[in-house]
Amino acid sequence: MISEALLEVIQELAEIEDRMERFEFIFDLADEVLELPVDDWTETNRVKGCQSQAHLEVRIENGHVHLRGGADARLVQGLMGLLALGMHDQPLEVAQAMTVDHIKEAGVLNSLTPSRSNGVRTMFDMVTTKLEAMSDGE
Amino acid sequence: MVDASDFPILSRKVNGKRLVYLDNAATTQKPQTVIDAMNQYYTNSNANVHRAVHTLAGEATDGYEACRTSLKSWFNAERVVMTSGTTEAINLVAHGWGRANLREGDAVVLTEMEHHSDIVPWQMLSKERGVELRYVPVLDDMTLDMEAYEASLPGAKLVCVVHTSNVLGVRNPVEHIIEQAHAAGARVLLDAAQGAPHTRIDVTKLEVDFLAVSAHKMLGPTGIGCLTVKEDAFAEMAPFMGGGDMIDQVTVEGSTYQDNEHKFEAGTPRIAEAIGWKAAMDYLEGVDLDAEHHRLLNIARWTANALRELGCTVYGRHDDLDSAVVSFLHPDLHAEDMAHLLDAQGFAVRTGHHCAQPLLHRLGISSTVRASFYLYNTMEEAEGLVEALTTVLERFGGSA
Repeated sequence: MISEALLEVIQELAEIEDRMERFEFIFDLADEVLELPVDDWTETNRVKGCQSQAHLEVRIENGHVHLRGGADARLVQGLMGLLALGMHDQPLEVAQAMTVDHIKEAGVLNSLTPSRSNGVRTMFDMVTTKLEAMSDGE
Repeated sequence: MVDASDFPILSRKVNGKRLVYLDNAATTQKPQTVIDAMNQYYTNSNANVHRAVHTLAGEATDGYEACRTSLKSWFNAERVVMTSGTTEAINLVAHGWGRANLREGDAVVLTEMEHHSDIVPWQMLSKERGVELRYVPVLDDMTLDMEAYEASLPGAKLVCVVHTSNVLGVRNPVEHIIEQAHAAGARVLLDAAQGAPHTRIDVTKLEVDFLAVSAHKMLGPTGIGCLTVKEDAFAEMAPFMGGGDMIDQVTVEGSTYQDNEHKFEAGTPRIAEAIGWKAAMDYLEGVDLDAEHHRLLNIARWTANALRELGCTVYGRHDDLDSAVVSFLHPDLHAEDMAHLLDAQGFAVRTGHHCAQPLLHRLGISSTVRASFYLYNTMEEAEGLVEALTTVLERFGGSA
């Protein structure tokens, strides 16, 4: 079961028909992700394949997922916000219930294949792979 | 301008809006005649080329070789080797000519303006053979440093230069570059992926040794391009891909190769694509490219000025011979965000480093938004782009 916050946002997005309004909505989600200060942007937390500079840090504390991120493109930062709504401060099993299809439901990206230069799929895969590795290590 | 209705894709809608396609420096749209020619080949003439004696094979061979004939005529070329595109054409020079003629300590001259496809093959060869690479810098006015170029020539065996920049639209002084290179004893490879779609290039008149071109940037299909080669340079080349179709005789002891261009076209070639490209060349024969160049350059100049008025930085100068490419950035909105928001309004533009990272590094940026115009684009579309961008900046400009 995905987080309630993510569910609410997906329902709100479903009611927005105008594509520009969708972008506005996603841009506003940028504030939902805890800021990863530029000084903490490292090669380890860099999201590879992004045209923009994008960095995402993922940790597990007391069985809950913690995300911090930052990007210079507002859309990427907004999609990080969507990711945060689904994962940040959530138990591992709730965070892992989020799939790339939930990002698709934002309806702003034409393609979420790994080869696309927007890197959003890479960002999602990066988080889920890390969560998997961390949960295996627990 | 050409009739936009010749291009079926241009009548479609994107995100509920009429498509305005301004990503022509990446690839151009195809006229119905190109689509029909390829469809006709697969429907009626599909066969492998060159050896079988049956009727279909004859039709396929004629269709494939007609493309080469058309290209030889278009570029006034002595030799035309069919490739998968500009990238393979450049790699063919690196491997087919470079390996046979470059030794440790020899120099190859490149420029900071090159597309990655004219940098990476040379870096690979440099690593393999110890060839020295010399890069001609780009000046603040976004032209090549010609003094540095001339200084780079002593000891150089090859000069590789882009005819027209895919980022800036700047058309380099290729006549002068070739003349200087030849005077210094170096051969010249021109990357004409962006130049060839906009102007007729006569390789014999230019005396250029190698010219690399892609079909898909000049109304033809993807997956095919060519390398034109001067006869004396052709004689210095050795095949780097072995296989069927390129041989004369094969025995268990060894093989001999064909004498002509087939020597560099191992395996079944891109037959449908060649037939499509021929149809594209036929279409272009009916276009006054000089008149179109001036029309499109005027559109690009108008767009560049309008964007500057909106606070954008425009990268390029739009001189008389430059192509209709407008690369720009706005301080309040990331290039990627801008491209997404323009797409939402039906405008297809490019964003990113355009496979020219050394150039962007020189300009101190990591990406641009790029609008590139071609035969079917209009001033009204440029006005629409500026209007859409104005809307984007009003609505989103402050939020970045």
